[in-house]
Amino acid sequence: MADLNQLYDAILNGDHKTAVTVTRQALTEGTAPIELITNYMSPAMDEVGRRFECEEYFVPELLLSGRAMKAALALLQPLLAASGAEPAGRIVIGTVKGDLHDIGKNLVASMLEGGGFEVHDLGADVAPEKFVGAVREHKPDLVCLSALLTVTMPGMRDVVEALKMAGLRDQVRVMVGGAPVTAEFANEIGADGYAENAGVAVTVARRLTRKNHAMDEAKG
Amino acid sequence: MSTGPYNQARQAVRDALAHRKPSHVPIDFGSTAVTGIHVSVVAALREYYGLEIRPVKICEPYQMLGLIEDDLAKAINIDTKAVFTPKTIFGFPLENWKPWQMPDGLEVLVPGDFNTTVDSNGDFLIYPQGDTSVPASGRMPKGGYFFDAIVRQPPINEEQLNWEDNTEEFQPISNQDLLAMRVAVDQASTTGRALVLSLPNMYLGDIALVPAPFLKHPKGIRDIAEWYMSLRARPDYIHKIFERETAVALTNLEKIHAAIGNNVEAVFTCGTDFGTQTSSFCSVQTFRTLWLPYYKAMNDWIHQHTTWRVLKHSCGAVEKFIDSFIEAGFDILNPVQCSATGMDPKLLKAKYGDRITFWGGGVDTQKTLPFGTPQEVHDQVLHRCEIFSRQGGFVFTTIHNVQARTPLKNFVALLDAVREFNGATNGRPEPTL
Repeated sequence: MADLNQLYDAILNGDHKTAVTVTRQALTEGTAPIELITNYMSPAMDEVGRRFECEEYFVPELLLSGRAMKAALALLQPLLAASGAEPAGRIVIGTVKGDLHDIGKNLVASMLEGGGFEVHDLGADVAPEKFVGAVREHKPDLVCLSALLTVTMPGMRDVVEALKMAGLRDQVRVMVGGAPVTAEFANEIGADGYAENAGVAVTVARRLTRKNHAMDEAKG
Repeated sequence: MSTGPYNQARQAVRDALAHRKPSHVPIDFGSTAVTGIHVSVVAALREYYGLEIRPVKICEPYQMLGLIEDDLAKAINIDTKAVFTPKTIFGFPLENWKPWQMPDGLEVLVPGDFNTTVDSNGDFLIYPQGDTSVPASGRMPKGGYFFDAIVRQPPINEEQLNWEDNTEEFQPISNQDLLAMRVAVDQASTTGRALVLSLPNMYLGDIALVPAPFLKHPKGIRDIAEWYMSLRARPDYIHKIFERETAVALTNLEKIHAAIGNNVEAVFTCGTDFGTQTSSFCSVQTFRTLWLPYYKAMNDWIHQHTTWRVLKHSCGAVEKFIDSFIEAGFDILNPVQCSATGMDPKLLKAKYGDRITFWGGGVDTQKTLPFGTPQEVHDQVLHRCEIFSRQGGFVFTTIHNVQARTPLKNFVALLDAVREFNGATNGRPEPTL
């Protein structure tokens, strides 16, 4: 029998090889993918986020844990898709146009995946129209925008405006983050949320997607 | 050539670095790749101050910083003068200037080996050592303002990783480069300003340089995320690189000092960032284990053999690292990012002001300078000067480079505020209008 606590430890310690080995063994033994995610992988990533928040973990540890989690998740995703399991929420994420920096965005994407979200990562230097296209295609609950530079940060406003122009703004929440970005700026451009780091991003995403679902239910 | 009161420039920086009250708060723009001004703003300043209109030279082709020539330096009372590394981040020298057009149409001059192509996305690609026959090492997005490194690392085979692959760039300095440095120092000395020499290949993991945009075929760990993970997962590998880098640096320092003597006020050796906006890239303990011994070896040599002061650049929330920076032998901290968590100007000055010089912190370039009003810029500059300038230990500059699209009126408000703070009694010339 696979010791599933080893999966938790492997993700927490950033050991992607063990994470894959244990996941593979657990699947062979018939463990449900959702059980692995709910009881071991998500709690591990939550703990990673907690340690990051209290400065026990830093960027290297976040990257290692994210890689371990993604390696294990890659084994589960085909099975989840086949079973029709619903994620915690759907997210489209990208770094805005003109900005090639993606480390911060990648960290947030990893943490969100670890939090049980389905993440569609558009990469870096993403034009507003590409965000609009991705919203039409994936129908996410949340669009996450990243920028590292003061010269590209205003591009976040362009994405919000593009979503409005496309008639999609009411169907999706927008969360922003990145070094020069502030809560004040998020308010100013009409975003719904701001996350100051990758750990906080999961908390804010959960809050925003809950609101989204509540909104849908109220409409329905 | 400098004349009259302008000669106070060099002495003012020396006094500031010695923690003596200088004749005025010295100003730096353009002395390093982290205290520069984007070429578009340099061009606008030349026009504003009525200087000869001519294409501005790109002195740092990664961030597209504009060369601040002596006429502009004099017009805006800059007290420092750059002595750049013999080769740029893309591995070619600053020579054989030729015209180039920025995406927004601005005509500039670039080095002869600044060779670019345009990809199908409309992005500019630039090549290591100007060699367009090898994969590009930098990309400027369509409509962008500067380049970022292109990671050219093949997938890592853990069993075949060899730390020596990460040390190709750490070589004994050539006689040609030494001669170029000596000529540059001699020429810069005639300005009467304080010289800041950027030293090559002593950066200990500066993330901008890890992808090695200057190498044609970089080997080893050259991916940014992989490098960060290696700090935790492969510390022995990192130690080996740093040991080699430091050994070569010590040999090169001896040669460089023999070539240029004590004719520079400060040297810029390392831009490795330890801070993020709200936290840090590693713990202080990791810094002390993985970096401090190597920094200390280089800085100890410098202090034992030269009069140079050593500048450490690190963005972000690094308040808790400053004691360790000082212990490692750094004399100067830049850019003093007061907008980051814990980087309160008053706290920094009170706690560390008599032990390290703050070279920066003058105004926030994330919010106030690019997006604030001239009055907000003015007020913040005066406030920072009041806090940081007491008993020297302060060279005014912005928090990192002045970015493209910075409103000219805000930059002029900055200069006016420093001039106002320095007052009319210091005998310095009014700017040439």
